[in-house]
Amino acid sequence: MFHWLEKRPFFFSVGVFLVIAFAGLIEIVPDFAQASRPVAGTKPYTLLQIAGRQTYIKDSCNACHSQLIRPFKSETDRYGPYSLSGEYAYDRPFLWGSKRTGPDLHRVGEYRTTDWHENHMWEPTSVVPGSIMPAYKHMFHQNVDLETAYAEALTDKIVFNVPYDQPGMPKLGNSKEDFPAAQKMALEEAKKIAAEMKNQDVKDAVARGEIPEIVALIAYLNSLH
Amino acid sequence: MNWLSDNVNQLALLGAAVILILTIYVAGKYIRQMKTEKSTGVLAEENWDGIGEYKNELPAGWAYTFLGTIIWGMWYMIAGYPVDGYSQIGEYNDEVAQHTKMFESKWANADHETLKAMGEGVYLVQCSPCHGIAGDGMDGKAADLTVWGSADGVLETIKKGSKGLGFPMGEMPAGLLSGDAAKKVAEYVAGGMKGEQPAEFATCAGCHGPDGKGMGGMAPDISTYGSPDFVQMVLDHGKKGFIGTMVSFKGRLTPIQEKAVGTYILSLSHGE
Repeated sequence: MFHWLEKRPFFFSVGVFLVIAFAGLIEIVPDFAQASRPVAGTKPYTLLQIAGRQTYIKDSCNACHSQLIRPFKSETDRYGPYSLSGEYAYDRPFLWGSKRTGPDLHRVGEYRTTDWHENHMWEPTSVVPGSIMPAYKHMFHQNVDLETAYAEALTDKIVFNVPYDQPGMPKLGNSKEDFPAAQKMALEEAKKIAAEMKNQDVKDAVARGEIPEIVALIAYLNSLH
Repeated sequence: MNWLSDNVNQLALLGAAVILILTIYVAGKYIRQMKTEKSTGVLAEENWDGIGEYKNELPAGWAYTFLGTIIWGMWYMIAGYPVDGYSQIGEYNDEVAQHTKMFESKWANADHETLKAMGEGVYLVQCSPCHGIAGDGMDGKAADLTVWGSADGVLETIKKGSKGLGFPMGEMPAGLLSGDAAKKVAEYVAGGMKGEQPAEFATCAGCHGPDGKGMGGMAPDISTYGSPDFVQMVLDHGKKGFIGTMVSFKGRLTPIQEKAVGTYILSLSHGE
């Protein structure tokens, strides 16, 4: 049988294709299942949250923190309900992570608050004695790159059909001409977060119309639930 | 040679030695074979640029194993996972239901000491990130639980006001009472509202009701202040207060765990 195939490269190629295509199909088909659709209530990230997400990626938070709660009691007791695939529908890329040096963050918005994050990012050991997480003080005076965040969100909307500007969904706009309006909305959102913070430099920066990274990052972390 | 006292290290060293010896032996055997032996057998008809192939039978053990895996694979697809209704989520649900049942029956009538110990465990995981391991609120980052539940705690609340528990009456302004009046009321409330009610309590009664029970859910029931019930109420409501925001633990902790946390927190201020 194998000699027959070896003598006929065309059929051999077809056979190889079929075998590999079957394996591919098994991987792809589940993505069309209902379970992979966005879970009800899942919303795309707002501009400020995207900027925070970029900060999260830039400072490599995902190297030590996972965002995937497995269905084990020990995990759901500590981190909240197990993760569903449909919850990552608007994550590009998803930040599941592969290593938990620190705790999982997939639902951190449910049990940590703005003021806690502020204390923790400024000096982790001030709230978690024995923590080995480094301090992220630079986030308090470095501003986010809102234009890049807007470009990412706009790409998500146009290329991947992420439902921005639809009823009940965050507003974004359709082109770079809409950026000033989106920037204004992000600033409004940032003001609400800064109001719950204590750091005067951050409050001043937001009042001046700037958005420090810490504000965007907290907006992102609070959105995780 | 300190590291050799570890039996895992000893085992690893032994394994490494065995692998090394086997490798040398097997490689040597094949090199010798290549040098001396000539291959024999029937050539297949086809050849490519003069390179032919022998018609060898498959080694029996290999062939049966291969067939076996095909049959096992079919069984696995059809009768094994996932078509027979098993799912990881189902297993998780069973596990949780079983644990909940066991937990509730085991701790339904837990005594004070047990609740305190359980509460300490839950506290260290869920509460200490904000309130601190000692419950002191870490320099004002969260409510100081070492005074909470005592007359000092009530005084604090009267002085600073309170908000964000989500009751219809809304925010309690700071400094409604001061001096001796505040002290008297504080002692009365922290004492479980027993004995004669001080006249100054009228200020509190405006929202909390003359009996302190909160007028049917309009304001917090302060007659339970300083008891695990009150802690349970705060855990369920969460609090968006003057210091910061506390999330609601409703659904994250079971009622027994909430009661345990309350028992533990009170032991901090009451020094039990």
